[in-house]
Amino acid sequence: MTRAEHDTVTPADKDATGEIAQPPGHVEVWRGNEHSPVEGAPDGVITLKDLEVYYGDFRAVTDVNVQFGSKEITALIGPSGCGKSTVLRCLNRMNDLVPGARVVGTVAYHGVDIYGPDVDVIEVRRRVGMVFQKPNPFPKSIYDNVAYGPRVTGMKVDSMDELVERALRGAALWDEVKDKLKQNAFGLSGGQQQRLCIARAIATSPEVILMDEPCSALDPIATAKIEDLMAELAKTYTIIIVTHNMQQAARVSQRTGFFTAEADEMGHRTGRLVEFDTTEHIFGNPSDERTEAYITGRFG
Amino acid sequence: MTTTTVSFGERLRSGRRSSTASMVFTAVLWACMAIICAFLFFVLFTIIQQGVARLDGNLLDRQPSQIRPETAGVQSALFGTLWVIGLTAVIAVPLGIAAAVYLEEYADPKRWYNRLIELNIQNLAAVPTIIYGILVLAFVVRGPLSVGAVVLAGGVALALLILPVIIITTREALRAVPEEIRAGSLALGATPWQTTWKQVLPAAISGIATGTILSLSRAIGEAAPLILVGATTFITFNPDGVFSRYTTLPVQIYTLVPEDRDAYRDLAYATILLLIIVLLAMNAIAIWLRNRYQRRW
Amino acid sequence: MTVRQTRRSGPSASGDHFVLWQGPSVDLTQQRRRMGERVIKAFLVGAALLSVVVTVGIVVSLFAPLTEFFSHVGIGEFLFGTEWTVGFGNKASWDDKSWGVLPLVTATFVMTAIALLVAVPLGLGAAAFLSEYASPRARKILKPILEILAGIPTVAFGFIALTVVTPLLGNIFQFNGIFNMLAPGIVMGFMIVPTVASLSEDAMSAVPLALRQGSYALGANRMKTTVRVVFPAALSGIVAAIVLGISRAVGETMIVTIGAGLQPKMTLDPTQGAQAMTGFIAQIASGDAPEGSPVYYSLFAVGSLLFLLTLLINMISIRLVRKYRQAY
Repeated sequence: MTRAEHDTVTPADKDATGEIAQPPGHVEVWRGNEHSPVEGAPDGVITLKDLEVYYGDFRAVTDVNVQFGSKEITALIGPSGCGKSTVLRCLNRMNDLVPGARVVGTVAYHGVDIYGPDVDVIEVRRRVGMVFQKPNPFPKSIYDNVAYGPRVTGMKVDSMDELVERALRGAALWDEVKDKLKQNAFGLSGGQQQRLCIARAIATSPEVILMDEPCSALDPIATAKIEDLMAELAKTYTIIIVTHNMQQAARVSQRTGFFTAEADEMGHRTGRLVEFDTTEHIFGNPSDERTEAYITGRFG
Repeated sequence: MTTTTVSFGERLRSGRRSSTASMVFTAVLWACMAIICAFLFFVLFTIIQQGVARLDGNLLDRQPSQIRPETAGVQSALFGTLWVIGLTAVIAVPLGIAAAVYLEEYADPKRWYNRLIELNIQNLAAVPTIIYGILVLAFVVRGPLSVGAVVLAGGVALALLILPVIIITTREALRAVPEEIRAGSLALGATPWQTTWKQVLPAAISGIATGTILSLSRAIGEAAPLILVGATTFITFNPDGVFSRYTTLPVQIYTLVPEDRDAYRDLAYATILLLIIVLLAMNAIAIWLRNRYQRRW
Repeated sequence: MTVRQTRRSGPSASGDHFVLWQGPSVDLTQQRRRMGERVIKAFLVGAALLSVVVTVGIVVSLFAPLTEFFSHVGIGEFLFGTEWTVGFGNKASWDDKSWGVLPLVTATFVMTAIALLVAVPLGLGAAAFLSEYASPRARKILKPILEILAGIPTVAFGFIALTVVTPLLGNIFQFNGIFNMLAPGIVMGFMIVPTVASLSEDAMSAVPLALRQGSYALGANRMKTTVRVVFPAALSGIVAAIVLGISRAVGETMIVTIGAGLQPKMTLDPTQGAQAMTGFIAQIASGDAPEGSPVYYSLFAVGSLLFLLTLLINMISIRLVRKYRQAY
């Protein structure tokens, strides 16, 4: 199932920019590790270990152990309030913006704890992009929306026009907007706005794209377009999507994690990851009865 | 059965007609609004009627005179007002916006010191304007800085006076910018300041501009603090810098009060009219800005 | 077990997308120096702290001269004396004057009370009208009227009180005299109408629609809903608006200075002229008060009293606003 390619490199391969020069095409298969309770664990672009999130004194999520695979789509599903969006927002530290939010445990990006003391949150967010529930284009031109990320992160770009075109093509939006790049993004339809937000996210060339219910504000036709786009993007990017829509998870994802919230003896509801497996397995033959109950619509 | 239905229907119909009490109540509310409007029109009418005669070229061209009020002007006060307000804007606008940005975009409202700053600003907004005059008199005109009764002192007094107002209106404008804009920008790897400077401030600019213009127009009409910082001197020359002595239009009007010759009264009303025209123009710009650029998110 | 990187920036395998970061050798430490950010944040913090500096400055400038003042004048004499003759006699002498501030305080409160008699009914009526009765179109026309009223310079109001309103009232109430407290009080009432009206309207608009709908559902008409539901629910906000109006009236300078004259007088008769606290400060400041003279110090004593009074009033208002903000 793992499509990512791996290789061992020596420090000598590092070039002047600190990036590692390697020709593509080397394979090393990831076989899980002892920390992961999940069978068939993917390669772990992002690994969560004993993750707990608190909002003030309220424990929103606990006991999340999971690895996400590169260049595939992982869907996080579950009933409302189960903490799936909370987990997603930990992956690029957007929870930092919530006053009182606190993260315990490890969120490792290629083995580096992104909540570590020396980590610059901006470097994290450059690599882990995000698309939000409601399309949120900036009140600027289409062109400026896409060029914003590269500009603010100081990317060295030969031609901004080219980059914008590539990002818009990547988000399957180019043909629709190429003649009105200077127009305000608010003039686009909801579906187009959301694809613009995807174009904006890929313009900074991230490795991972987080999507927080990206289609919940869109009509079915626009949703279908975004789903097609996700499949296309998964050839290049690691995509983690939170969705309420089980059919969507089944259609687009390779792996699925099912969350649910259970009340403790005090009545506080805390979200947990119940099951994480291939989408086929989750929707075909779930191991946990709670998953099955949710999938078959008996609860949630 | 039938009777019940009928009486119920009657009650429904009578309920729809307003009772006498509620008609009177509505009329009283209308009257309140009407009295307020009538007073405003009475004030504006008086000012125009009494002031229009002397709203002539002399008013703008000439300097104040204690001998010939019939042809005297208020040029030094007009220029003094421009100097003082310019300085006020230069001091208060950047500082006010900066403080508002700190409180809205950076500060953790749970911290005691941020709450203290907030409470403090609310209090400053309601401190009598004349107190700001005492402050500047003690620290700028005399005391440590001792610059004397010059434009700088007037500008500082009015700047401190409108600073809380600019902070409060700017914060409201920043709060109206939806959180998604900030989240979108930060998620792309922008720093907090990049997010503020490139997204939040441009999105809030019309609200900030409206609030700023309104507070500057409040400062233009203000006389009380300037009386304390020495603007009441009889000045017949235009200021030529921030260390120049000065007077302003509202102070000029105040100094004309003790004079009881009609010519002085006409001059005072003409000066009020001039001031009102400037203020109404600024208000109109602010209202236009707000209606034109008000963004619906 | 280490996972290593496969490729650096360049077109991806599918050719369409561009990737910069692939692989494990990630360096998430700060890559670019962002000195600018820190400097800017320091400036923003500084600007916010300036407000505290201003407050400290006000307190110091007002209270520092008080030690000198109260070494010559007893606190009891100042607060409870009924005669104020500071503007008279030998400028350099402390002994030939009466230092009782009550006449100034009384005049301030007489005029504030008159202003409230005008501003409270009108302001609340206007607020109820705008919040509960007016159509959006009417609101769009009427709100700018309140704003224009709020924007008229107080010196103009003072001049009108003196030259137009006083002669008018003199005819009606049969008094003659240039200065009185009635005219400035009434005009000041109109001056604070916008404050009372707009803050009360905010409080009324903040009353949840559900409360109103509940009232209508029970068969109440608009008047009953306004008087029995909206008004009580918005009460603390309305009181806060009135309290803030009081604070503005107490601190108002130009109208009372121009309209009520410069004669300190212990009287409750509104047809008489009497100097208010702010009026005294303005008079001394526009005349000459040599630094260090008794008159100069009395400026700070009256200023301190004025500041403390308005501070107290403001704190009450802020408390009340918090209360109604918390309720919803």
